[in-house]
Amino acid sequence: MKRFIVLAAAITLLLPGLGHAATKVKIGFVNSITGPEAPIGENLSNGVTLALEDLKKEGIDVDLIKEDDTGKPEKSMSAFEKLATRDNVTGIVGPYSSKCASALAKLAEKYKTPLIIPVASKDDITRQNLKWMFRLSATTNDYATILLDMATRLGKPKTMAIINENTDFGTSGAKSAKEYAAKKKIAIVAEEAYSPGSPDYRSTLASIKSKNPDLVFMVSYVADAILLMRQSREIGLTPQAFLGAGAGFATVQFAKEKDISNDVFSSTQWTPDVNWPGSKQFNERYKTQFGKEPTYHATTAYESMIIMAETAAKAKGDKTRTRDLLKRGKWNGVMGEVRFADYEGYTNQNHHQMLVEQIQNGTHETVWPPQYAPKKPVYPFPGWGK
Amino acid sequence: MSIFIQALISGILIGGVYALIGIGLTIIFGVMRIINFAHGDILMVGMYITFFLFTLAHVDPFVSILITGPLMFLFGAMLQKVVINRVLGALPQNQILLTIGLGLMMSNSVMLAFTSDYRILTTTYSSSSVKIGGISVSEPLVISFVITAIITAALYWFLLRTDTGQAIRATAQDREAARLMGINVARMSIIAFGLGSALAGSAGALIAPTYYIFPQVGSIFTLKAFVITVLGGMGSVIGATLGGVLIGVAESVGGVYFGAGWKDVIVFVIFLLVLLFKPSGLLGKSRT
Repeated sequence: MKRFIVLAAAITLLLPGLGHAATKVKIGFVNSITGPEAPIGENLSNGVTLALEDLKKEGIDVDLIKEDDTGKPEKSMSAFEKLATRDNVTGIVGPYSSKCASALAKLAEKYKTPLIIPVASKDDITRQNLKWMFRLSATTNDYATILLDMATRLGKPKTMAIINENTDFGTSGAKSAKEYAAKKKIAIVAEEAYSPGSPDYRSTLASIKSKNPDLVFMVSYVADAILLMRQSREIGLTPQAFLGAGAGFATVQFAKEKDISNDVFSSTQWTPDVNWPGSKQFNERYKTQFGKEPTYHATTAYESMIIMAETAAKAKGDKTRTRDLLKRGKWNGVMGEVRFADYEGYTNQNHHQMLVEQIQNGTHETVWPPQYAPKKPVYPFPGWGK
Repeated sequence: MSIFIQALISGILIGGVYALIGIGLTIIFGVMRIINFAHGDILMVGMYITFFLFTLAHVDPFVSILITGPLMFLFGAMLQKVVINRVLGALPQNQILLTIGLGLMMSNSVMLAFTSDYRILTTTYSSSSVKIGGISVSEPLVISFVITAIITAALYWFLLRTDTGQAIRATAQDREAARLMGINVARMSIIAFGLGSALAGSAGALIAPTYYIFPQVGSIFTLKAFVITVLGGMGSVIGATLGGVLIGVAESVGGVYFGAGWKDVIVFVIFLLVLLFKPSGLLGKSRT
């Protein structure tokens, strides 16, 4: 009898979706629905909406409980506690920003509830040997690495200036850029951490210009990216390349500001024209449904929700089992191959392949690494208004 | 040295706009003894009006002040007559709660109507600059500084030379005495609040071409306006002008020599020092 049960369990594990009646799973979703990060949060929400549709087709009926963290860590913590205890969900997807995700990583451990962080990339989050938290996206380390790899392959930069906002994401991005630059023998000539929301960065940019760096590396959210580039143009800052670490530089809104965004590089987790399964279809579907272009945030949320719900369904709503299956599983979808591995001090971290895109004529084009990229990079920066 | 001059010029130019925001707050405080915590949100409404005038009707942001200003005057006057007026004699904490509540209502209504998307107003001159001896001066900032100067000059003239202006100043000096002199204090309050709102709205229009617009943008400016007003002396128009420019320069120059992250620290250290040594503000008269 015992052997039979083991066998049956093995079969259900190997052949998911055999029991055809819709499986019901209860999943929590913490996101910045309002607050300053809401424009990006919207992408995550939309990605999850699409994921729920696809899950339904697979026969998985997700009872989704959404919580708004307004971009504040303390709110996301209370949301997590509510989801893990009162709602007793099997797993949680979210939150958006690194500061909230850092707060939740430890709570997942405390409440023994699996958490998939779709896109928050602060390096340390998966470096704490936490067993209940999984991260789909690459880390801020990778944001800097891919950009500097590209720059050193395309040119011979000797110096670099770093401008970052003084948030978890910004500081972590700047730190990894600095470390990797040291490995690549690029000297850091200026380091400026600013607090976001100031209308005037001109003086900072002017002092950077006086150091004449070959590369300018920036880590900023949506609006500051545009502001920084506008004022760089005003000041006449012209390095070999402007390197943006995703976030604000990866948005459509940024690309549309052609005057200031042309030829700016940005590392990203996903692009619509990358050759991963379902990428192009996802892009089309997203555009028809929401009337906007998706950013990589949407695909990470989509893929995280798919993985979490499928795994939770397989585990029949058991939290510990869900965690074990997440640890062992392997997926291949819009985000390419996903596996939550332990390596180089990381725990449950997907070794995600980063991409570099460049704004060419008002649109993001994938330009690096060559094997995934349909377009060629423009390097060095040709100058303003060219 | 050129970096210092660069920082100084940017600071003065941006400080001009800060001054305009501070003046609005200080006038309202002077006349009604109410700290308007919805000031930044009124500015935000001004930004949205400017944005939509530009995108829908193609009105240049700087020209749009001619529409935004009067519209915001009416809006402010309406707010004071319908809402603020009822708490004039109430406890300060009630007044603070009321204005904070008004601000929340404004920012959340705007969010409901236009979503929380960041809007960027791109004009042909949004990122252009003029070079003077190696120092680049932002074109939109220069224009907005000139407009600020004109508005401030006009305001001084209004307050010093016209009957209504004098009545407003009289009300600010002593509400009871002004009433006894036959000044219609209730009307002066409405005008003052309208004026303050119009100034905030105009400042919003001036910042719109170089900044970004979203429903919560107001809180950044409410805090700035508050600091400027207290720094300059509550109720003092000249003090607010001075305070605005001072804060602008402190941010800009401090950003260069201490790092961009220290900007706010420098501003608040100056703020605390002024409060420590001159508690009534730079040009404030202590009142009892």
